[in-house]
Amino acid sequence: MALPDPNTVPLRPGFASRLLNWSTWVVLVGLFVVSLQQTGFDVEALTSGSQDFVRFFRRLVPDWTALPQIWRPLLETLQIAYLATLLGTLLGLPLIFLASYNTTVNGPVMWVARSVLTVLRSIPDLLYAAILAPILAPGPLPGVVALTIFTMAVLAKLASETVESIDPGPLEALRAVGAGRNRVIVYAVLPQIAATMTSFVLYIFEINVRASVVIGYVGAGGVGFLLLRYLNFFDWGGVAALIVVIFAVVLLIDLLSVWARSRLI
Amino acid sequence: MTTAPIPPTPAHVVRTRWLLGIGLVLLLALAVLALVTMNLPTWSRVQSGLARNLVPLLRGFVNPAWHVFELASTSMLETMFMAVIGTTIAGVIAFPLSFLAAGNLLGNARFALPGKGLLVGVRTFPEILLAIIFVAAAGPGPTAGIMAMGIHSIGFLGKIFSDVIEGIDAGPNEAIRAAGGNALHVFLFSVVPQVLPEFASSLLYRFEINLRAAAVLGLVGAGGIGLPLIQRLQFRRWDEVSMFLVVIVTFIIVVDTLSSSVRRRLV
Repeated sequence: MALPDPNTVPLRPGFASRLLNWSTWVVLVGLFVVSLQQTGFDVEALTSGSQDFVRFFRRLVPDWTALPQIWRPLLETLQIAYLATLLGTLLGLPLIFLASYNTTVNGPVMWVARSVLTVLRSIPDLLYAAILAPILAPGPLPGVVALTIFTMAVLAKLASETVESIDPGPLEALRAVGAGRNRVIVYAVLPQIAATMTSFVLYIFEINVRASVVIGYVGAGGVGFLLLRYLNFFDWGGVAALIVVIFAVVLLIDLLSVWARSRLI
Repeated sequence: MTTAPIPPTPAHVVRTRWLLGIGLVLLLALAVLALVTMNLPTWSRVQSGLARNLVPLLRGFVNPAWHVFELASTSMLETMFMAVIGTTIAGVIAFPLSFLAAGNLLGNARFALPGKGLLVGVRTFPEILLAIIFVAAAGPGPTAGIMAMGIHSIGFLGKIFSDVIEGIDAGPNEAIRAAGGNALHVFLFSVVPQVLPEFASSLLYRFEINLRAAAVLGLVGAGGIGLPLIQRLQFRRWDEVSMFLVVIVTFIIVVDTLSSSVRRRLV
């Protein structure tokens, strides 16, 4: 029997690990308290500070006459998400292979590709949209460009991890018969990652749909612009109808995408 | 020696190729349709916009406006504090909820459906949309942003937590029951120790996401670095915008690196 003797097994962890445990908790609680003070977080301001909060939600009764106005921007939202996902995937493909150690050209190129991706990824999609809207004229174009950049960065990150974990056998076999890097990628790497990649693309499409719903708020096209207008005109019926429609569309696309992804892998 | 002839391509491979080709053509056709029906600006408008705005923005990276560095750093710190509170609140609420959405502990997978449905519903709302609603309801400020972030994260964390719970090893549960422990003992000494590292790791991961989200909440008036940033965007102070971008990117990359190194040690 390889079971340890119960008398020699220490009953509690050593002093050092207990100290680390406790200090982690102290640091976390301290950070939380500092955060509460610094941000002036106050739930009561939301609830009791004014009955406005409750009254606000009571006013949110959908006004379905706003529907004819909603369809067109809603379609634009989906167009933005679709185009951005497609363009981002196409532009991201070469980056995936440059950023993976087993398919890259050489060390420095891989390092540059990874650094560029890290920087691109650290900027949130809505921020891209807010910056690009004044540059590229307000409308769907900055939205498409913003989400394309975001798609590219996220996809390349996710997929290069997949590429680095594939079976090296087929790659070696192709190299052994004299195939160049591009042939290796097409015939050995792509077949191995196709299913996972498709799943990632669908997942990013879900994220892009969510994002494209709100980027209109900063002038980048889609249904968010309508939301801003309804809010500015205190058209609560329109706001409520819009929220219900957005909820339904996002949920539908999510469910479809989750279903498709569950069949892929 | 004679070389064997190359065998013909199998029928199912040919079929898959055709299907793939048709699928790709459909995808591209849909893209062209979307592009054509979209309301795009004229090329000259884009060109003049690029010249007027992109050039000063890029110049700002070479020659940063150091006078806004302090403002940018303090508001980025406030942004991080918002993410800390939002993530903590979400974690505290998602913890009990996730047990109601985990099929294996409830005895029957069907009992978990209401919990799962609730989490999907919460997750569906984009957090910026929630923030916009809360700002309209309770006025601008970090509280609205934190609430939006917290609520959205509940859906995300609850889902991941319940997945973790469903993946635990049932052996220790049975061992404790066999030794005479009750449900509380099973929970405290088998379930919690098994799920805690994964929970902590997903909390950290969500914190990384929330930090990015908090950086843009201010764009809709919900506190954090987005508010001073959108003001500068509106006044086209591109040199100051680039300083803000540098601060945001650096801060997020540093936090990401720290957080992912901790996560690697956890799981």
